[in-house]
Amino acid sequence: MNHQDVVAKLIELVTPFAEGRALVINETTGITSELGLDSLKVMDLVVAVEDEFDISVPINALAEVRTVGDFASLIQKSAG
Amino acid sequence: MKENSRLKAVRAVRQELAQVGIDPFGVQIDRIVSPTEGIIDGRPTILAGTNNYLGMTFDADCVASAREALETAGTGTTGSRMANGSYASHRELELDLARFYGKRDAIVFSTGYQANLGMISALAGPGDTVMIDADSHASIYDGCTLAGANTIRFRHNDADDLAKRMRRLGDEAANALIIVEGVYSMLGDRAPLRDFVRVKNEFGATLMVDEAHSMGVLGEKGRGLAEVDGVLDDIDYVVGTFSKSLGNTGGFCVGDSDDMDVLRYASRPYVFTASLAPATIAATRTALRKLEAASDLRKRLQANAERLHAGLSALGFRLGAPANAVVAVLVGEKLEALRFWDHLLKAGVYVNLMVPPATPGNESLLRCSVSAAHTFEQIDAICAAFGSWNGARA
Repeated sequence: MNHQDVVAKLIELVTPFAEGRALVINETTGITSELGLDSLKVMDLVVAVEDEFDISVPINALAEVRTVGDFASLIQKSAG
Repeated sequence: MKENSRLKAVRAVRQELAQVGIDPFGVQIDRIVSPTEGIIDGRPTILAGTNNYLGMTFDADCVASAREALETAGTGTTGSRMANGSYASHRELELDLARFYGKRDAIVFSTGYQANLGMISALAGPGDTVMIDADSHASIYDGCTLAGANTIRFRHNDADDLAKRMRRLGDEAANALIIVEGVYSMLGDRAPLRDFVRVKNEFGATLMVDEAHSMGVLGEKGRGLAEVDGVLDDIDYVVGTFSKSLGNTGGFCVGDSDDMDVLRYASRPYVFTASLAPATIAATRTALRKLEAASDLRKRLQANAERLHAGLSALGFRLGAPANAVVAVLVGEKLEALRFWDHLLKAGVYVNLMVPPATPGNESLLRCSVSAAHTFEQIDAICAAFGSWNGARA
């Protein structure tokens, strides 16, 4: 899966968690800063992502994730 | 002085509590009367929010041991064991623990929290993988952070989910450290330890089990869920605490590894902190000896747990797990839980209020911990206090 495909899928997954807090979600959208996901929601999102992509995302790697694009890159890395 | 922005979220929670006028996280017990009673805000209060499962804090033999050690060995060690020397009693307690569990050796830490920090950070480092249950205690999460290892969560108590994630690791799976707890502190639910042992053996990985809430509570000899499930030999490391069923302070790890002797030297939370005071070690040694023989206390504890569980169930409350030393009432919304908790305290019953993110499932809990030292009258009074709450049954 290329980066843009991962981003598109990730936007699909993150949208319900955002509960309408952003009109547009794209690669540069901040997951906590703009979408307002708290730590619990982030962990629920991680589980949804892991199920969708059949990967395990190390929680220590999440510290570097700010935007949807960052998360997409981590997903690609975790998928090997 | 400039406001620290990192404290913003905590400050907001404090302000929210101040507006309600209830502070559940700053309770002061003005006078402790017994393992199950204290004076709070001038009121005699039943303590149902301790982890004093066997009521060992006021045990006459433990108190006598502590007093003797205090008088003969002084108040403290004033330093770490590595830099400032161990007392013979530190090592004797380690040998006691190893014998108790039938393991090769033990390491004593200054708290249970540090036992997890110390073991995880000594066993794993950057580039290694640690697999942890999603509902793990903060000390396990923090241990993983200190280790700097790749930390992967699996679904709570789900051995199949763990196995799936182990398969994804490929050849690395054999090097993974798997960590679970025997009994989970929030809901009191038990791990399917046999299933986890099966996964551990399938991949040749290492398994560490935290028995903080099951040591002394479960098993004929009080050796926790691992004893009940007959898997003690398959567990590489058992971690535990002195601050619950042993009624004191401190933590430990026991294991059969050839590396037990060197692990302590690789563990910064062991090396760089003061060792336990002689009185603490002495009382803990006595408590451990008594705990092993305390099957009558364990029966009493279970009878109390069943009475409380049945009483709260009959009142219509939703409970976290089958009858166990931890009986958690699921309350749902945080503000409701806060008011309910305050109502109980004013009715003379102290329990623990637990709110997300410390709780599973984004739900607030009123957590009762049962003691063998509770009388049936106290258990009934706890139920009556819960029953006098007019708010919604969650």
